[in-house]
Amino acid sequence: MNIQFKKGVLEICVLSVLAHKDCYGYELVGEISKRIDISEGTIYPLLHRLKDEGYVTTYLQESAGGPSRKYYRLTEAGRNEEHEQKEEWMRFAASVNALLEGKNDAAD
Amino acid sequence: MLQTEQEFTRILRSRLEGTLPEEELNDIVSDYAEHFRIGKADGRSEEELFRSLGSPEDVAREIRATHLVKQAEDVKSCKNIFHAVLATLGLGLFNLVFVLIPFILLVVLLMVVFILGIMFAIFGPAAFIYSVLQILGIPAFAIWQSPVAGVFFSIGITTFGLLLVIGDYYLARFFYRIGIQYLKWNIAVIAGTEEES
Repeated sequence: MNIQFKKGVLEICVLSVLAHKDCYGYELVGEISKRIDISEGTIYPLLHRLKDEGYVTTYLQESAGGPSRKYYRLTEAGRNEEHEQKEEWMRFAASVNALLEGKNDAAD
Repeated sequence: MLQTEQEFTRILRSRLEGTLPEEELNDIVSDYAEHFRIGKADGRSEEELFRSLGSPEDVAREIRATHLVKQAEDVKSCKNIFHAVLATLGLGLFNLVFVLIPFILLVVLLMVVFILGIMFAIFGPAAFIYSVLQILGIPAFAIWQSPVAGVFFSIGITTFGLLLVIGDYYLARFFYRIGIQYLKWNIAVIAGTEEES
């Protein structure tokens, strides 16, 4: 898949994963890169930006037998943003799919 | 080049030192340190973790551009927007067309309007003085058919020139705001992606 698409949807992917559960960075990167092939390093700058914009907050939590980890949690504003972007994406994807299927029909 | 955590951190630091405040830089470096620490505990090698993170130069460029755009948003100045645009240009050739050219066109437009305004604002008072001197009967300065009309005309030109300058100021502020939004969008969606494809 064209990489240009991937970067554009990275934000909604991160918001969506965090909407399900709080994550530490490595975990979040794992969740995303499991499905999307992307330079994992760019997720951290994105998290920083989301924090600056007030969509996520961070807190430290002890891990079993290791140093504490930095967890990311969606704020209320982040939750709203996630809803909005998700709906927007769903509508967009549905339109594109309809268009692509329509095109295939015409070609048949 | 060695693909180790130390190397990743070194490049990140050397690229961002002097741009980011020390505290913010430490914060970013500690995020990657945690990533390496957990990754290694997960049984992955430093080299493998380094490779899947992508090039530290690219990561640094993106962090740098994001920071400078934010700084230009917080403190509005020519210098800050210039730095922000330069940093965004570094994210890929693509932005020569989509950032540099629009930026140059806007700067030229704003400068032309400003210079026109200043010219009218200088020419107006000069014409005003000539007209008054003409009314006082000093023929050497006669430039108008009717010096009284000249008085009104020059007041009009002066006002027009000042309005142009003031309008240009608001136009610049407007484009500054739009420009910041555009750069943010550019970094989030497009910048730094083409080399990888």
